Amino acid sequence: MARNLLGIRQLSKEQIQGLLTLAKEYKRKVNAKTPIKPMSDTVIGMLFFENSTRTRVSFEQAAHYLGAKTANFSASSSSMSKGETLKDTILTLRYERLNGLVMRHRFSGAAALAARYFGGPVLNAGDGQHEHPTQALADALTIIERLGSIQGLRIAIVGDIDHSRVARSNAWLLSKMGAEVRFVGPRTLMPVHPGMLPCTVFNDLATGIHGADVIIALRLQRERMETGLSSSVHEFTRLYQINRESLRHAKAECIVLHPGPINRGVELDDLTADSEKSMITSQVENGIFVRMASIAWAFGEDPVGHEMDESDKKPAKLKLGKKVAV
Amino acid sequence: MRTLLYNGRILDPSQDLDLVGSVLIEDDQIVALGGDVPKEDLDEIYDCTGMWISPGLVDPHVHLREPGDEHKETIATGTQAAAAGGFTTICCMPNTRPPLDNPALIDFIMDRAASPEAGGVFVAPVGALTVGMKGEQLSDLAALKNAGIVAASDEGFPIQSSLVMSQAMQLCFQLDLPIMAHCDDVSLSKGGSMNEGAMSAMLGLKGIPRSAEEIMVMRNCLLALHTGCHVHIMRVSTWGAVELIRQAKYLNAPVTCEVCPQHFVFTDEAIGEFDTNFKNLPPLRTLVDIDLILEALADNTIDCIASDHSPHASHEVQSAFEEAPFGNVGLESVVGVTITYLTHKGRLSPLETIRKLSTTPAQLLRLGAGTLKPDETPVAAVTVIDPNVEWTFDVNKTFSKGKNSPFHGLALKGKTMLTFSGSEIYRDQHFGESRLRMADLV
Repeated sequence: MARNLLGIRQLSKEQIQGLLTLAKEYKRKVNAKTPIKPMSDTVIGMLFFENSTRTRVSFEQAAHYLGAKTANFSASSSSMSKGETLKDTILTLRYERLNGLVMRHRFSGAAALAARYFGGPVLNAGDGQHEHPTQALADALTIIERLGSIQGLRIAIVGDIDHSRVARSNAWLLSKMGAEVRFVGPRTLMPVHPGMLPCTVFNDLATGIHGADVIIALRLQRERMETGLSSSVHEFTRLYQINRESLRHAKAECIVLHPGPINRGVELDDLTADSEKSMITSQVENGIFVRMASIAWAFGEDPVGHEMDESDKKPAKLKLGKKVAV
Repeated sequence: MRTLLYNGRILDPSQDLDLVGSVLIEDDQIVALGGDVPKEDLDEIYDCTGMWISPGLVDPHVHLREPGDEHKETIATGTQAAAAGGFTTICCMPNTRPPLDNPALIDFIMDRAASPEAGGVFVAPVGALTVGMKGEQLSDLAALKNAGIVAASDEGFPIQSSLVMSQAMQLCFQLDLPIMAHCDDVSLSKGGSMNEGAMSAMLGLKGIPRSAEEIMVMRNCLLALHTGCHVHIMRVSTWGAVELIRQAKYLNAPVTCEVCPQHFVFTDEAIGEFDTNFKNLPPLRTLVDIDLILEALADNTIDCIASDHSPHASHEVQSAFEEAPFGNVGLESVVGVTITYLTHKGRLSPLETIRKLSTTPAQLLRLGAGTLKPDETPVAAVTVIDPNVEWTFDVNKTFSKGKNSPFHGLALKGKTMLTFSGSEIYRDQHFGESRLRMADLV
């Protein structure tokens, strides 16, 4: 059964666990060089209307490991630049007989629109300020690998929350998995009415990250700071930078994540970014495996027969059901 | 030719009339109404038993899109939709391409509206307040008034400069021309596509704060107070705007206002997963706003109901939420929605419902409509409504070219059955053949 992955908000805890279980299974297989039954005859369109090197490469790598082919589109080279509507572009790709779509777009809800007209699995690789589900899955897998479980953790997401799809997807995922999610940042970069998002809001960094097990620092877009609608980057750095000094307020074993690309010396200082607390490289690597899981799940693969390790603590005992590796 | 609208509930707010009786139309004029009208020499009888007979409805806020956007609507299709909705007089907005900022365009609108293909309703144009609706240079409003505009407005491009608005009000006061004001501080609303609230935060859409509307409502009320110019505030959507207008009225500022059905039926949560049929300007707000709007309708702080009929082509609506145009069609759903959500829920009596849909907007804009009194309208303008017929609004069965409606699929109770403007211009399929009788009835 084909499915869309448009956001984390619509997923149940069980579905999230299933995706993470699949991701772990793929990671184990890829690392052990165990062959994976290839998704032959599957062509996935990579539709990136916004520049993104890392997410695109990650999805392409995931498709490659799964044995699927990818077809690339970019906003500048596609007919969108000739005035074609998004609906018509999607319909065209549908009848080009693409089997699935990975899509990034600057408009919130664009992936949902694509899903209405595509008629096959659509994976959201980031829509406006709405959701970026695979980034949240990568972050979750990284946290689970390091801390064993998400249940009961205090996780602070710090920085430009209002404009961040990563913050929204993470808030949904981590809270569904039992964490206490905190949004930390200045009021100028916070949603005015965060009431429907599963989080509590803090404007003070020390209070916000107090006792935190995990800190997710977000990229600060300098262009946005230069509109005059918030204080200077310097002020932000002074008040909200994650560094050795501010980390004193978090738990001693607190880990730091960042979806990248980093502004070194702004949201994270150099030392922290390169310290053993930093999970940044694991996030990138895990990005591939959660995207493999997402693609496979969207094309109907279920973690059936894969044991759901509730606690996430013991190493996963995974059996692939009927889909035995060739 | 003598036509009798027989045995309905006559609701004429202009005379505070609410009685069971008949209306006699001779040629194109009302000649008698009440419980005891002459029934001799009739040519046609419409049996209106159980139905309302009201003055033809008046919509002060309609977009006919012609000239320039004929792919969305034309004067012909828009006026046909109006007739089917029960309207005999509609005000058309100036945000056409080019905008209605010169008298020749007003003549064009009048000619088209009077053509045989059109729906047979009166079209009262609203002229652009500034040249090109750019908010800079005032239009030649005296010439536009001579050409027939009933009000001036920059519609969806509200004048941002308080100085320009103040001068516009001075001029319109002199010309005795109401200003219809959409209230929006663009510096606050720019880039927004829905109400700024919990829903917009969740969907990651830039919000339009309520203060963007309220700041301009307050400014325009103050300028109206100080210049004496009649300002009609279009489509209020927030409780704060309602409260500011209430205060302005308390100060005797010449301020009136309208509300659109979508703003008392839906909240921003109706947007769900980015449904562009619920993208409105001002945006759909919250339950608190609806509660206070309903209260303000009952106490007459809100003077009238307007459709803000805003047709768009399907390809424009079927796009990403942030790209999709604002607004929805409304002419053919206003009556059903209003009666369902206001009258049947006890918010407005039948007489007050008709007042807000006909008499008041006609009086505010001096349209020569909104009454059944003989000789006060150019021709007999009468609408017959069955308040009890149950139906489902289907946007694919409408006369309007626009198919963008948040009301599609909604179960409604109450529908326009007949519209007369001189003669019958619309008869609904629910109005059974058996109700059309020859003179043997009486």
